[in-house]
Amino acid sequence: MSTGGAPLLAVEGLSMTFGALKAVQDLSFTVHDGEILGIIGPNGAGKTTAVNAISGTFKPTAGRVTFDGHLVTGFAPHRLAELGLVRTYQATTVYGTQTVRENCRRGAFLHLYPGFFDALISSAKARAMRAAVEKEIDRLLDWLGLAQFADTEARNLPYGVQKTLGMAIAMAARPRLIMLDEPVAGLSAEETDHVRDTIKRIRASGISAIVIDHNMRFISGLCDRVLVIHHGQELAIGTPAEVMSHPDVIEAYLGKGHAAATAKANHAAPGH
Amino acid sequence: MSFTDLLTPVLMGQVLLDGMSISSIYILIALGFTLLFGIMRVVNFAHGEFAMLGGWGLYYLYGQFNVPFLLAVPLAGAIVAVCSLVFEQFVFRFFYQKMFQSMIGLLGLSTAMIYTAVIIWDAYERQIPPAFTSTLEFGESIFGESLLLPTDRVVVFLVSMATLAAFYFLIMHTRMGLGMRAAAQDVEVAEAMGIRTRTVYRQAFLLAIFMTAVAGALYGQIYFLSYELGSQPLLKAFIVVILGGMGSIPGAALGGVILGMSETFLATLFGAAVSNFVSFGVVILILIIRPWGLLGKPE
Amino acid sequence: MSPQAPLSLGAAPPRTMPGAGLLAISALAGAVLLAWPIVFQGSFLVYIATLVMQFSIGACSLQLIIRTGHISMSHQAFVGIGGYTSVILVMKAGWAWHFALLAAIAAPALAGAVIGPILLRLTGKYFVLVTFLFGEIVRLVFIDWQSMTGGSNGIFEIPKPYPWMNDPTAYYYVSLGFAVACVGFCIRLMRSEIGRAIDAMREGPNLTECAGVPVFRIKVVMFIIACGLSGVMGSLNAHMNNVITPGNYGPMESLNLVVMNVLGGMTNMAGAIIGAVFLIALPELLRGYVEWQRVFYGIILIVVMASMPGGMVELLARLRSRLTGREAHLASAVAAEGRT
Repeated sequence: MSTGGAPLLAVEGLSMTFGALKAVQDLSFTVHDGEILGIIGPNGAGKTTAVNAISGTFKPTAGRVTFDGHLVTGFAPHRLAELGLVRTYQATTVYGTQTVRENCRRGAFLHLYPGFFDALISSAKARAMRAAVEKEIDRLLDWLGLAQFADTEARNLPYGVQKTLGMAIAMAARPRLIMLDEPVAGLSAEETDHVRDTIKRIRASGISAIVIDHNMRFISGLCDRVLVIHHGQELAIGTPAEVMSHPDVIEAYLGKGHAAATAKANHAAPGH
Repeated sequence: MSFTDLLTPVLMGQVLLDGMSISSIYILIALGFTLLFGIMRVVNFAHGEFAMLGGWGLYYLYGQFNVPFLLAVPLAGAIVAVCSLVFEQFVFRFFYQKMFQSMIGLLGLSTAMIYTAVIIWDAYERQIPPAFTSTLEFGESIFGESLLLPTDRVVVFLVSMATLAAFYFLIMHTRMGLGMRAAAQDVEVAEAMGIRTRTVYRQAFLLAIFMTAVAGALYGQIYFLSYELGSQPLLKAFIVVILGGMGSIPGAALGGVILGMSETFLATLFGAAVSNFVSFGVVILILIIRPWGLLGKPE
Repeated sequence: MSPQAPLSLGAAPPRTMPGAGLLAISALAGAVLLAWPIVFQGSFLVYIATLVMQFSIGACSLQLIIRTGHISMSHQAFVGIGGYTSVILVMKAGWAWHFALLAAIAAPALAGAVIGPILLRLTGKYFVLVTFLFGEIVRLVFIDWQSMTGGSNGIFEIPKPYPWMNDPTAYYYVSLGFAVACVGFCIRLMRSEIGRAIDAMREGPNLTECAGVPVFRIKVVMFIIACGLSGVMGSLNAHMNNVITPGNYGPMESLNLVVMNVLGGMTNMAGAIIGAVFLIALPELLRGYVEWQRVFYGIILIVVMASMPGGMVELLARLRSRLTGREAHLASAVAAEGRT
């Protein structure tokens, strides 16, 4: 992991309040090229709110978000996607009634849309873009092991495959940084491992990732660095090993009873 | 009429009474509408036509058969409500918990009912004979001149208030009302708790149509009776319900008072056209800021 | 250009050509449409077909809005704005009709550009209700702006666009031409990448926004385009009828356009046209029995909505699935809406 040079994403002093509720307070972190950052915390800790504030679903109450040198605080999700910052959602991850291939086409809008009039008359430019994207989708589906499902309607896929398809849709937009909100919620252990391998392969192709989850085992086995959030505030940030030996984390997040389990997970983490 | 003419207490009193009687009619219609929406999730575009049937009920009972007015009004409401169970069985039942389908399907019912009414009763306006032609006079000692209140407006107000009170009692203090409130909160949970939704739906339907038909009878008496009677009340109920919040009973009451009062005062001050524009404009504005209405809950 | 694409660009487009069956049907439909006024010369059927052409423009342009996930109950109001603009400019300002037509497109488009961004922030039933009220407001404007619109009696003795269009056959062909152009535009638009984005954002707005689709902007643009196209119907219809009255442009009439789309299954331009044929032709053929015809119309709506909310497209799909014995996937917009 390289920490040298300007970070790809820099979040400084991010706060998000709803009335009296301080959902997120003064969060600061960075993500570098080719890095996987985990954000972890118990339910209601403000993980998803933090992501929403970064990805433009809400405008943050305070703070700055810089992506690739651009100040993008409060930018709408579609503008962030244009810059290369794409997120996934917990709930709606795929278009159920469409085929896997069509799902990917929808994800590739930025690379398919030639401008209003070119699209309308299906000009040479529009056709060339379409051809290029089709070819890429073929490769993407191959690469993620979805080729056999290309013409299957998404809702008929097993849940785990749907999650992979969700990542394929995000990848079709060709992001530089992908934010995954609970990518393994509701998956079996085997499927979880598959998703983890997929995320690692995504990173290997040069794309950074932010992964939000509350499953410490999953996060620690995947991420280069982990940010622990508790009550909307940063509790600790560092490598999985550092974070999990952090007394505050053990105390507040895992509870004292879990100290033994933590130690075990610590040993497991560097193995990956 | 100039502005200062209106600011006499006597005239204000009369406008206030007008506003109160029209508000109470709007509330009755809107309550039926909101009840159907809150419990069965149907948007009853045919609501105005049940008001029209109430008008016809009063026309026959009071105008033709000389049933005493104060008996004829609730009787008309009850007859219309019971007869309308046919519609519940053959139309409404299919649209419960299907909001979008209900909008269009019940617009179809509205059209069918309106033109059936034209076929049966022709397209001309009729008058329901006035029940009370006198005016009440009082307050001379207070204001210096006496306050003239048309008795029929007072009666309309009192009858609607009595109906509203009965409705409130039913909803808040009976088992039937409890069932309805439970169903309005969450149909599935209510079913799991052993509430028979089919029965609750039927009761709510009866109640909603009864109130609407009573309101229609009163409305028909104040204005006119024809196949078109329902269109204005439906629109008003619509505004009232949106204003107060879809499915909210106190919201319907609040919305009815706001619309009825503002409409009456604006119409007296600036004319009917202005009052219409203002009320529509305000409702659209409220909805854009607060789509779930004043007392509704966001989804 | 996209930053750091993990996958490189390629070539060779797999273009899908329309099937032979579709081509044959289109050719047949074209022949019928061209021959219609010759076969039924001087008949009432020419007038009905002309009406269908005009309503096809209204129904298909409305579908542009519906496909973005918003069921507008004020579309006929925009048709009315177009109609009044055209009639007033021709009759009071002495404009030639072709210029008035351009204004009849521009005026509702402008109205849509003003009101659209406000209304489109609402979704679901709230959008339906507010557009219903907005339609009513526009109708009231038509009634109350007496000096311009002639109040509730409307404007009489509207001339045909050109003297030669007094011939119903000529009017038919002009309407056909505009219908083909407008409907063709709508179909083309929905089959393009924009159409793909529109269908995507109806089915998953968040997901689509994250793919870089400016969801709200597209909704507004579609609303404006739809309103502009509706003005074509407004102008053609008003000049054909010789009279324009506010009663034709209320929310109930807007509902008519919605129902055409409902009958057609909501997400299919051909369906909307079939819906228009059904809703225009059937009542007009029962002309002598206006009341009964409306009663039947109402009952049909009830039956259709109660038994097959997916419209005729759903009916066809069911028939087909019965024939082939396969389970058809009927995920119509209506059914989805109904569950919420």
